[in-house]
Amino acid sequence: MAVEADLAPADTAAPRPRRRWRLPSAGVPWFSGLILLLLVVCAIGGDALTPWNPAALDLRANFQPPVWAEGGSWAHPLGTDNLGRDILSRIVAGARVSLVVSLWAIVLSGGIGSLAGMVAGYFGGWADVLIMRLVDIQMSIPPLALALILAAVLEPGLETVVIVIVVTYWTWYARIVRGEILSLKERDYVALAKVAGVGSATIFHRHLAPNILNTMLVLATLQIGQVIIFEASLSFLGLGIQSPAISWGLMLADARAYLTNAWWAITMPGVAIMLVCLSSNLFGDWLRDVLDPRRKQL
Amino acid sequence: MLGYFARRLLQGFMSIVGASIVIFTITRLTGDPVVLMLPPEAPPDVIDALRIKLGLDLPLWRQYLIFAGDALQGDFGRSYRWEMPALDLVLDRLPATILLSAVALAFSMAVAIPFGVLSAVNRGGWVDRFGKVFAMAGQAMPNFWVGLLLILIFAIHLDWLPAYGAGTPAHVVMPAIALGWYPVAAQTRIVRSAMLDVLDSDYIRMGRSVGTPEFSLVWKYALRNAAIPLITMLGVYFAAMLGGSFVVEVVFAWPGLGRTVVEALFARDFPVVQAGVLFAAAMFVVANLLVDLSYGIVDPRIRHGR
Amino acid sequence: MVHPRWGAVLALAVAFSGTAFSASAQTKSSLTVALAAESTTMDPAKYSAGVDQYYIGTMFEQLVRPGPDGERMNWLAESWEVLEVDGKPVIDVKIRPGVTFHNGDPLTAADFEFAYERLRDPAVSRWPHYQANVAQFEIVDDLHFKLHFTQGDANYVANWLQLWAIPKAYFEEVGEDEFAQRPIGTGPWKFVSRSVKEELVLDRYEAYWNEEHHPTVDRLIVKIIPEDLTRVAAFRTGDVDWIDSVPPAMIEEVEALDNVATASRVSGNNLFFDMDMTPEDSPFRKLEVRQAVAYGADIDAIIEQVLFGQGQRYVQVGPGETAYDPELKPYPYDPAKAMQLLADAGYPNGFETNCYNLITPREPNIKEMGEAFFAYLSAIGIRCNMKNLEYGAWINVNRRAEDTPQMEGGILSHMWGHGVPGDPGTAWSGHLHSFVPGEGWGSYSHTAGHPEMDEMVEAVNTIMDPDEREAALKEIARKKHELVLGGLTTYRPLVTFAWRADKVEYTPWPHPGFWRNFQEIGLKQD
Repeated sequence: MAVEADLAPADTAAPRPRRRWRLPSAGVPWFSGLILLLLVVCAIGGDALTPWNPAALDLRANFQPPVWAEGGSWAHPLGTDNLGRDILSRIVAGARVSLVVSLWAIVLSGGIGSLAGMVAGYFGGWADVLIMRLVDIQMSIPPLALALILAAVLEPGLETVVIVIVVTYWTWYARIVRGEILSLKERDYVALAKVAGVGSATIFHRHLAPNILNTMLVLATLQIGQVIIFEASLSFLGLGIQSPAISWGLMLADARAYLTNAWWAITMPGVAIMLVCLSSNLFGDWLRDVLDPRRKQL
Repeated sequence: MLGYFARRLLQGFMSIVGASIVIFTITRLTGDPVVLMLPPEAPPDVIDALRIKLGLDLPLWRQYLIFAGDALQGDFGRSYRWEMPALDLVLDRLPATILLSAVALAFSMAVAIPFGVLSAVNRGGWVDRFGKVFAMAGQAMPNFWVGLLLILIFAIHLDWLPAYGAGTPAHVVMPAIALGWYPVAAQTRIVRSAMLDVLDSDYIRMGRSVGTPEFSLVWKYALRNAAIPLITMLGVYFAAMLGGSFVVEVVFAWPGLGRTVVEALFARDFPVVQAGVLFAAAMFVVANLLVDLSYGIVDPRIRHGR
Repeated sequence: MVHPRWGAVLALAVAFSGTAFSASAQTKSSLTVALAAESTTMDPAKYSAGVDQYYIGTMFEQLVRPGPDGERMNWLAESWEVLEVDGKPVIDVKIRPGVTFHNGDPLTAADFEFAYERLRDPAVSRWPHYQANVAQFEIVDDLHFKLHFTQGDANYVANWLQLWAIPKAYFEEVGEDEFAQRPIGTGPWKFVSRSVKEELVLDRYEAYWNEEHHPTVDRLIVKIIPEDLTRVAAFRTGDVDWIDSVPPAMIEEVEALDNVATASRVSGNNLFFDMDMTPEDSPFRKLEVRQAVAYGADIDAIIEQVLFGQGQRYVQVGPGETAYDPELKPYPYDPAKAMQLLADAGYPNGFETNCYNLITPREPNIKEMGEAFFAYLSAIGIRCNMKNLEYGAWINVNRRAEDTPQMEGGILSHMWGHGVPGDPGTAWSGHLHSFVPGEGWGSYSHTAGHPEMDEMVEAVNTIMDPDEREAALKEIARKKHELVLGGLTTYRPLVTFAWRADKVEYTPWPHPGFWRNFQEIGLKQD
């Protein structure tokens, strides 16, 4: 959960990594795009795609191994969990929670955070001080600790997970967008426009917004993976998504007690998380290069 | 210079005060600890008596002022559950969390530095590619899942390492990997980019032209400079790990701060939650402060930039 | 590449890992046991939950206690009886002579008077309401005292005469804090040291009064290992010789180990599903709906598959408890009948309702158990809108008081400890009797108010004669079962202990604080 630590190098204080470090393979955006597309399809298709009702218990058919393991069958390709629920169906069903949480969290934290960042960066002064103090306070509290307490205050569930993620991540956008605005403001054409008496709204609309939008898009793509991991951690501790809703983190939490009985129950949902996060990170990296060829050349 | 220091110190202090207000307030919103402490059939007058004894009948702002006043004198109240000072409970658990975070940080650097250097030297080579995949994988997996997989493979199937708990150096291996893998990607990136800068610099080119062996150029002269940005970030990584070790501690039954706070939260043991979270927050603020101050010394331009 | 300062931290940290957990020196014979949960206090007057008695029960003793067979036996009391003086009940107790505290002081009636004074003081005790009916504590002589009651109080009798032997002189000499840190009692074990969340070290009390039942090993080290898998791992590697609460999913595995003995016993908790009848329009006001719930879930399958057999099905009162009635049979699993009953009640298409699922680490697999139960109900048409509640949130929803949020109708996973062996009187006052604000009746009740039942529960609380009491409780149980009131009783969790049969000699003793007081444990003699 080292959210902040990962970000820290991008802060104004540290030198920006200039040469992008990427997988030199043309297949990467295709692979990661495909996985993300699959996530969306599963999330929309939901129950219609699943071989079994993902919530249906079959107590007599519990702990069935996946099809390739000894004793497995095609009836349950990825096996069943401790209550005899079909793991494949639950992973497909869990995609919806992952996507819904990601979308809401990204839209809200991106919106609130970017707005705060723009205000702080563009207007400076008291607004800047106030917002950045808030960011500092917020960042000093370990994100997971804050999330856990908040989740205990609110009724655990999907809405709470979204709120908690927004509270944690808005600082991400606020800091980066503020930095971006500060550097854009120093560009000659923006300064010139100001001198020429062009209104704030126009400057913002014409010069700042397009640049910020790219940054936000990249951040949002990268955030998908982080949000999914965050949701999984919260659900794993029992303060996130609650059954009968299905989430990958919750599946891991449920399977933990049966580590010695059923390795597949703990492995499969984690693989789903990993694939989606990996794709989100790779796709975000690729997008950054595409949207900002300037950096790629450096 | 002094003015900058004073300003940063004041900002840090304000952050901690702000954090304490936030933590105090939301902790108290999590529910009533009193009914959890009493037998189910306790009549209302017994419940009220206990509430008054714990000071929970006062308005929130007065409760906070009492808490803040005591905290400034090092008194974080008594644990509701354990009838001992909350700070003692937290300090008891802190060494274990520091140990775990330190070893995790050492692991991540032990991976990130060679990968960062080699991938800068052989850009596009197989080390570069493998390093990238390894680092990306770490970023794509929840640390508790990494922990569970490690347990499954190395404790249950291979029986090489103890699955849970603390006690011997072997116990720390798996939790440290689970916790330390995540930041590998960011750290490798820092080292790699710094290495590229340094390798391009005049003084390495000069060294090359006078015939200094490539190996010592890279591993001795270049790395010494390239490591500076990573080392200045160490404090921040360390503090982030202290705060991020919650789930890993739960998975590995590690007797640390995170697990204590999670348990206290479920028991509505407010003083312990407050002391634990505030402690982690203070460590984070102090670490950041040290980083900023060190930059302030290294690069005077920063002082004017703010 | 490590910065010198971090190097120092690392070195420190490694040093820590080496020392903190190294085993204590073992000069005398010793055994190490591991418990899943830890007592929060060692002062008997301050106990609040069964778990507190794990520690208290090793060092302190009561006047009466359950013996190994579950029957009540006189313990520190040589004899006791309930008399009637001027129409008011009096408990007359003669104390066993020759009992001493761990510091050598003899046990006298003054010590029990002191215990009584502390137990009724709301600043100390969490149970002062239990002393409300005691009018006077009368010391007759050093080994004889009488408790005068204003009215019948069955709780006093049902709860093992309540009083713990506390050394008045020692307590007054050292003060409350010191006493809680270094407690002294009459029990088979005397306090050596304690480290919170880690361990309690006890030594055998050489001058213990009971020559028949006592431990034979010199030292007992009680480790606290809350995580199931860790506890089992420590047992497997031989770090501990005895563990409690083997997780259900691992019992088979543990039993298969060489030289390991296990014992499963009821834990003292009682699980049931309560139905909220308080809203005017609650479907659960209809008997047929409550019966449909009773017929609608396959409890036996749940016990077998979800709990791995670690549950004992019970109807109202379990075997071995006061007022156990073998005549009462559980409702069989009959989904067709359940659906018919729902249709009869006017819900041919079922209905939607809240289902509150309790989650607590104290009860293994309780979350999955609830999920399975609610899934069965959904299948007969009671469509569950399930909400998981961790213990703190559960209390808030469940507890009846003016200022706490209430459950908005629905079904609630519920539990209530009766003790071992138990008496359901207190539990029924709390969840069967309807809620009466300010009087303590029905503090967790969701019944709609059944005047006849309320009267029966109130009456049974004043009956101190054991036989009369048993008959009255049985009558309540039958009616409760018939009307499915105060919840549908499901199972009593079993707790499984495991120990190294080649090393440890162990006899499980039930205890008001459940099982873990180690009355008889020792090294195996060859």
